[in-house]
Amino acid sequence: MTNQHPVLKAENINKRYGNQEILKGVSFELNRGDIKCLIGPSGSGKSTLLHCINFLVQFDEGRIWFNGSEVNYARKHDLYAYRQKIGMIFQDFNLFDHLTALRNVQVGLVRVRKMPKKEARNRALVELERVGLKDHVMKYPAELSGGQKQRVSIARALAMDPEVMLLDEPTSALDPELIGEVHSVIQDLARGGMTMMLVTHEIGFAGSLAKEFLFMDEGVILEQGPPERILSNAECDRTREFCAKINQLHRGSG
Amino acid sequence: MEELLFIRQEVAPALLRGLWVSIQLIVPSAICGLILGIIAGVLRVYGGPLLRRIAGLYVLFFRGFPLLVQLYLWYFGLPRIGIYLSPFVAAFFGFTFCSGAYHSEYVRGALLSIKAGQQLAAQSLGFSKFKTIFSIILPQAVRRALPGCGNELIYLIKYSSLAYMVTCIELTGEGKILASSYFKYTEIFFIVGGVYLVLVSFATWILNSVEDRVSIPGFERPQEGKRK
Amino acid sequence: MSSSQGLTAILEGLPYILPGIGVTMTVVGGALSMGLLLGLFLSVLHVYGNRPTRRLVGIYVWFFRGIPLLVLLFLFYFGILASLQIELSPFLVSIIVLGLISSAYQSQIIRGAILSLPEGQLKAARAIGMSDRKAIAFIVLPQALRLAIPGWTNEYTIIMKDSAVTYALGVAEIMARCNHVASRTYQHLWVYLLAGFLFLALTYVGTEVFRIVEEKVRIKGYARQEGQW
Repeated sequence: MTNQHPVLKAENINKRYGNQEILKGVSFELNRGDIKCLIGPSGSGKSTLLHCINFLVQFDEGRIWFNGSEVNYARKHDLYAYRQKIGMIFQDFNLFDHLTALRNVQVGLVRVRKMPKKEARNRALVELERVGLKDHVMKYPAELSGGQKQRVSIARALAMDPEVMLLDEPTSALDPELIGEVHSVIQDLARGGMTMMLVTHEIGFAGSLAKEFLFMDEGVILEQGPPERILSNAECDRTREFCAKINQLHRGSG
Repeated sequence: MEELLFIRQEVAPALLRGLWVSIQLIVPSAICGLILGIIAGVLRVYGGPLLRRIAGLYVLFFRGFPLLVQLYLWYFGLPRIGIYLSPFVAAFFGFTFCSGAYHSEYVRGALLSIKAGQQLAAQSLGFSKFKTIFSIILPQAVRRALPGCGNELIYLIKYSSLAYMVTCIELTGEGKILASSYFKYTEIFFIVGGVYLVLVSFATWILNSVEDRVSIPGFERPQEGKRK
Repeated sequence: MSSSQGLTAILEGLPYILPGIGVTMTVVGGALSMGLLLGLFLSVLHVYGNRPTRRLVGIYVWFFRGIPLLVLLFLFYFGILASLQIELSPFLVSIIVLGLISSAYQSQIIRGAILSLPEGQLKAARAIGMSDRKAIAFIVLPQALRLAIPGWTNEYTIIMKDSAVTYALGVAEIMARCNHVASRTYQHLWVYLLAGFLFLALTYVGTEVFRIVEEKVRIKGYARQEGQW
């Protein structure tokens, strides 16, 4: 039966760095199967918000619920279990440099989920094949292209069987010709029904994928709604301003 | 209490005596060693093949042999070929030549790290080789070599204690004599250790200040970071 | 200078001197290992510990890096151990003292290596749910230790040469034995030159071994230079 609770719910997240307020009372909800995209100018706090969701950044005020129950990060055991359920993809991949692609995907299974090595290896191979890297499993990060590295990191996150995927500018660090391969993997995930929260500058791509855009500026979610509405017919002035600029940029491109 | 005071009468003068000898050893050897190191380093980078060879051998042996062995060679070995050095002079030469070899490596590394383009640019402007080295290379190299050479000077402060092994009675030597006379090894050597700690800390502080003083953007002292 | 006398002295003395190599290597090996284990522990404390812990480690490092080896040897052997009435051989005391000093230096080498790793490594480990302890053990340290090998090689050469000082406590290593032979044969120059060459050779061999180890554990393309990513 349908779960009544949203998969992920954040309420009133506040984060300060010294005197600077990066996030001011941010709240949102993510239902199962939703794909939402955070857009906005640099420094608006999008990336920080993502990092707050899985407590990689400790926020000052606010609460987070996962499947209806509040996440208490003080209990380490619960925190680690929670993080396994939230997959995160970083802008600079953050692959473990001393491990092959295979071991990168395997290490979480063996060390965190305590799977037997053989089983973990098989699972890792499955995930890597799923992202199209069957022939590169024994390579080290230094031997892989940016696109390949990002795909490995997606495989690594998927191996943990997450219920939500957070993607923090997954293609920003890639050469243009490599972006396509990562996009296609993300599209596959979406087709499979993965719940996702995405931060990206690739507005066109996000528009085709996301159910909803959340426009952030200076630490606040100013507006949210379906992509078409936000991009061409936003309510907020600031939103319009931002979207006008990006429309200019993407004029003519899908 | 009385005992402590009495010992202060005996201990303090002896240790101060030793400290003075230590300082007389450390300062000249530090200066001479640094000069020797700079010469050797420069020769190794800019000298002709023969000079490079000689400097290279110098560094090989004076960095490869333990300092203690070198000291013994100066004090016990040289007499066998008719050269008799006093403990103090033997220690001085030992420290100078040994630290010189280490200094030369830092100097050499610093010189090599200066981009080749700098030299080319200077030459294209008409600088002589000498002027290039003096006005362009050296100011940068000094900043690069500073941490290494400074470190070496601090090592010298500690290794000066080995002078005792060639019967030059400096701080450690005085300490040993006192300790064995009064059977107060723990206390005396804690004090002796403490004095070295003070000297080393002071020298480190001076070194850091100098590094900060001469630092310019691009040549900063790597800052300590805290990780979480 | 009578070279024939010198050479005979060396040849006569070799059977006595050579076993000293074993003693020296044991002292060096023991001190390095102790320094590594203790230094590893200290470095993790120094990087990830709370303020008071980091303070304490800092004091430990300052103490053992600031006091000359000879003074520490005397302090421990004649002072502390005698006061506590613990009887340890000069051999053991030397290893312990050298080990303590080395741990102070090695903790800084490893710490430097850890700090040079990109922050993203730890972040990614946490993101897949690893506890900090696991992240440090399986992700941070395997990389940091590889980076620390050059510093470790340097540490080896330093301890190798410092081991000669333990002669002051009467440890029967190379220096002590050479001294014995020198005073008997009166060929100080030759004998001490021999001592020097022996240390030089041992240093060279050790450095080569470390170089091979570094090759063996090297990860392709994994050269952490500034600005390489």
